[in-house]
Amino acid sequence: MAKTLVLIEHDRQEVKRPSLHAITLARQFDGEYGLLVLGHRLDEIVKSLVCFGASVTMVADDPALAEPLADRYATVIADAARKFGATILLATSSTFSKDILPRAAALLDAPMVTDVLAIERKDDSIVYRRPVSAGSMVTTVTVDSDRCVLTARATAFEPPEANAAACPIERFAVAASSLPNGMQFISREERASERPDLTEARVVVSGGRPLKNKETFDRLVGGLADVLGGAVGATRAAVDAGMVPNDYQIGQTGKIVAPQLYIGIGISGAIQHLAGIKDSRIIVAINKDPDAPIFKMATYGLVGDLHQIVPQLIETLHKS
Amino acid sequence: MKILVAFKRVPDPNDDAPVGGGALVSTAKSVINPFDQIAIEEALRIRERGEATEIVGATVGAPSVDEQARAALAMGVDRAIRIDDSRALDPYAVARILRALIAKEAPDVVIMGKQAVDDDSNQVGQMLAGLLAWPQATFVSKIEFLNDRKRVRCTRETDAGLEVVETTLPCIITTDLRLNEPRYVSLPGLIRARRKPIEILTCDQLGMTVRPLTTVLSTARPPKRAAGTRLQSVEELIVKLKQEAKVL
Amino acid sequence: MNSATREVFGNIAPWMQVAFFILMAASLGWLLWQVAARALLWRKGLAGGFERDWRVWIERVVTYALAQKRVHRKSLGAFLHLLLFSGFVVLTIGTTLLMIAHDGPVDFHHGWYYLIYELTMDVFGVAFIVGCVLAMYRRAFRRKPSLGHNSSDWWLLGLLLSLGLTGFVLEALRMHYTHVQPPVAQWSIVGWLIDATLLRRLDVGYAQTMHLVMWWLHAALVAVFFATIPVNRFLHVITGPLNIAGRPERPMGALVPLRLDEVEQTGRIGVSEIDHFSRQQLLSLDACMECGRCEDACPATATGKPLSPKKVVTDLRGLMAHGGELHGQTIRAETLWACTMCQACVQECPVLIGHVDLISDMRRHLVGEGKLSGPPARALQQVGNQSNPYGRPNSQRLDWAEGLNVPMVESNPDFEYLLWVGCAASFDPRAQKVARATAQLLKDAGVSFAVLGPEECCTGDPARRIGDEFLFQQLAQTNIETLARRGVKKIVTPCPHCYNTFKNEYPQRGGKYHVQHHSTMLAELVGARRLNDGNGGDHGDPITLHDPCYLARVNGEVDATRAVLGADRNSQFREMPRCGKKTFCCGAGGGRMWFEELPEQRVSRLRAQESVATGARTLATACPFCLNMMSDGMAGTPGGENVKVLDIAELLLSRQTLSTPVVPNGGEAPHQYTS
Repeated sequence: MAKTLVLIEHDRQEVKRPSLHAITLARQFDGEYGLLVLGHRLDEIVKSLVCFGASVTMVADDPALAEPLADRYATVIADAARKFGATILLATSSTFSKDILPRAAALLDAPMVTDVLAIERKDDSIVYRRPVSAGSMVTTVTVDSDRCVLTARATAFEPPEANAAACPIERFAVAASSLPNGMQFISREERASERPDLTEARVVVSGGRPLKNKETFDRLVGGLADVLGGAVGATRAAVDAGMVPNDYQIGQTGKIVAPQLYIGIGISGAIQHLAGIKDSRIIVAINKDPDAPIFKMATYGLVGDLHQIVPQLIETLHKS
Repeated sequence: MKILVAFKRVPDPNDDAPVGGGALVSTAKSVINPFDQIAIEEALRIRERGEATEIVGATVGAPSVDEQARAALAMGVDRAIRIDDSRALDPYAVARILRALIAKEAPDVVIMGKQAVDDDSNQVGQMLAGLLAWPQATFVSKIEFLNDRKRVRCTRETDAGLEVVETTLPCIITTDLRLNEPRYVSLPGLIRARRKPIEILTCDQLGMTVRPLTTVLSTARPPKRAAGTRLQSVEELIVKLKQEAKVL
Repeated sequence: MNSATREVFGNIAPWMQVAFFILMAASLGWLLWQVAARALLWRKGLAGGFERDWRVWIERVVTYALAQKRVHRKSLGAFLHLLLFSGFVVLTIGTTLLMIAHDGPVDFHHGWYYLIYELTMDVFGVAFIVGCVLAMYRRAFRRKPSLGHNSSDWWLLGLLLSLGLTGFVLEALRMHYTHVQPPVAQWSIVGWLIDATLLRRLDVGYAQTMHLVMWWLHAALVAVFFATIPVNRFLHVITGPLNIAGRPERPMGALVPLRLDEVEQTGRIGVSEIDHFSRQQLLSLDACMECGRCEDACPATATGKPLSPKKVVTDLRGLMAHGGELHGQTIRAETLWACTMCQACVQECPVLIGHVDLISDMRRHLVGEGKLSGPPARALQQVGNQSNPYGRPNSQRLDWAEGLNVPMVESNPDFEYLLWVGCAASFDPRAQKVARATAQLLKDAGVSFAVLGPEECCTGDPARRIGDEFLFQQLAQTNIETLARRGVKKIVTPCPHCYNTFKNEYPQRGGKYHVQHHSTMLAELVGARRLNDGNGGDHGDPITLHDPCYLARVNGEVDATRAVLGADRNSQFREMPRCGKKTFCCGAGGGRMWFEELPEQRVSRLRAQESVATGARTLATACPFCLNMMSDGMAGTPGGENVKVLDIAELLLSRQTLSTPVVPNGGEAPHQYTS
């Protein structure tokens, strides 16, 4: 019987909703599953964490955990996993979980499988499907160990259905003085945004280098996103050109998104970017080059000058 | 300061991806994993700044990987070590092997790419840090040594933006794309590389045995998206999105 | 008249004559000493690199030094230089003839010879003085920035003017105290005019004394002039002809090959110290008189990049003379990377300095030492790994031909022409249309041709230009072997860079072919009526042509492109101000296609503005890189959004559908073409 512990991510204010998608995967294993939250001053977060059929919510709340430093977090997570008796330690893929979980895996002497898309049952064991080579291929892997660590790709799993049944909260004591302290948090640069999170949004509008500069990018890509209530993303080229900050980057080495509607403006469709959007339900491409590779993947393609098409689109959508 | 850079041989990401079984199709052109090239480049720049005295390159694999070891030497690494192992390993096995090597080499910093572009696992650096109980800085886009090289300050690229952390040395650093742009290597580098040694070690010599715990059963191309339609106007697009796709 | 003559050294006592000769010998000696010192500096370079054929020396000196071929143009500078040059040469020859007549066995300095001599000297003396005055005027009021100004410039001009003026004053004084009368006097027209007006009442004895003083003044000025030649612009009179003669004969489009064994031995590649240049290159640095024409023509300078070909030469010259560090200090990397290798500077230089070779040599060092990174490094890595700079699998090299049924060498081994597509036309979506148009036209005309498909590898031009010589040699080797295996003798290609490399550089590696740019072949086919020229005459919209650097300037081919466009019969065809062999770069050469450029520094924008200013609605070009750059440039230029940028093959193909079909294989056309 599997015993899964799901690590939940938050931004010190509220739970990051994509991190809940891992629960959907947890439910696919036979057996109970618990939730784990680390941080400081977590009361509001824990309250908002409506249990999704978890057998327990373990909370490690300590000033030493105020910032997600990998060495401390991995130690606490490994201890919690051992206490819970977890055979599977699981979280949604994010820079947070990718930074910390492999380290926890090592502390648990367990192998790890990253970016699980789905699981299958083969004979008595479970096999995992995961993307490789920028998503151009999918491998099926097995794990030969009595415990393992997984991260799940948020866009491959639906958000879990909540149920109102409360589940026990277990405060997990942290021996702060015995935590490693070789790492120190210095600062963070975060922008408050009124737009939805890129990985959570229903609509994503993203732009590429042909937008040339920040002003045009904000006006056209941002403008279209706002009229659709969507998030803004960008290609690596746009980030490199300084049009947008790095957290807007979608692609093999950036964020993976799978919105209901993705609109790519001035994006030719390099394979690294396509790897980040290919699971979107509807892809719209606007590009003046009719031979751009993105058109092979787009549900709807519009060939033309984005400087004319996008303002027209924004205006027409405003009116309706 | 001694830097150890770990690198992996991967199929050239520009080539058509090889299909079939888990193992590499050996006729495909191979390169040093682009993120590891960034790691090597950073080590070279740290040395050019006068902050490092020795750069050791380390990799795990079959004899064919010597090609990449030579490429690393051509970039400017002082010595290269290949731990001879022709099996299909998983990240945890690689991390354990590297841990044994690091016990022997005792570097002050270990730098490697955040993920290999063929496997995309993004695990080895972090696992290694856990095994060694060393601090880690992952997805780093800027490295600065402080306090007479007793601490390092790194800027990390996270989902929320940029984050700055400091760690003590020794530590593990994994590189992200925007850390630097690796130098081009041509003939003079290759000539110099010929005079530098590639040391071959085995797991036995390092006093350990590892067994990969993850096995790739099969590899396949995901189903292709069906080709879509070309539209002629903004009006047509809005109509389609509303009525056909029902997404507006 | 036969007795017309004048005394030489008339007023000069014998001991003064001796003193004079000693003074001249000393100043000339000092001049030679200084020149020898410079020559020792040149000698620090690598041996060799000089042209060996004396017939080439003579031809070059006559063409460029005497006939001044590169100097002539419609400008004040060229005009005044003509005056200065001709004046100085004639006056020098005159003085020499006088010396020969005086000291030699036969005194021929009398009679009609003497009279014509006097007139000639006076006329050219005036020309010389006018030249000096114009030069001073230009330097004071109309100086173009690229000419620059050194502290020695006023000194030199003042000196030259004084020499000219004192010469005439001397003549007038001599004529006065020796009582030279008309009609003989009038042959020395200027001296006579001065004598007749200013000196009329001058006491003869007084005149003689003044003559002596003025004579010594003139002699002193001459001595100072000789002695100071090496420290001002005048040095080019000596070093210019030396470089003009000594510059090695090589096609403009061919860079210097390197030898693998030399690199293995020395462990270094390219130039990292001043003495790694050849002796000829070091000499060429001293030939520069800083006219600034190279800078005026340079597209990098014009777009505000940190490169001026003139400054590269003068900086290297300073390094040669004073020592220091080459890379980073004297010449920055950004300077070297900014060059598009369009060769405009090389073409302009009146003393034949090879700026591009200097830059190429220094680039090779940077690349060899790992100082290249970013997009151009990626491009070269991809050239090495995928055999094309785009990094696409070479197996996709024929994707452009989808649906066209283009013959491949494999299945058509009896082809006559190999259509070499090139990487740009194979992979760049915009340029693929050029490949399609070219192939279609060749098929329509019934030309026997085939393509290599995936066997085609990059010619290596980007590798060589950016600075990895050995990657170029590797690719050349591979391609030459492929071409030999497929029995290729004739090549036609739409890319001027491939064309240049095959024509001028592959022979260095043993690959010799009959190479044509597609413009030449298309022009031949149109001329032979195997393709429609669209019935000549007007085609409606105004059209202009951007000549590709590597076709027009580097290989001198300007007619075929115009023939394909029917330019001479099209009243709507306009030339751009910088056209033909004096074309202006699109910015892609020298490997710059793969470098990142700030939008405000884009060479293509500058060129697009030039095109827009002609009023043309179509910009024709004949190079896939120019096509790419100019399309981009137009997009970023006001007025450019409505300009169509098309290759001549695309334009010609569109005319094939306009009128009646032609007879393939060059048969007689059955009917007249109506317009």
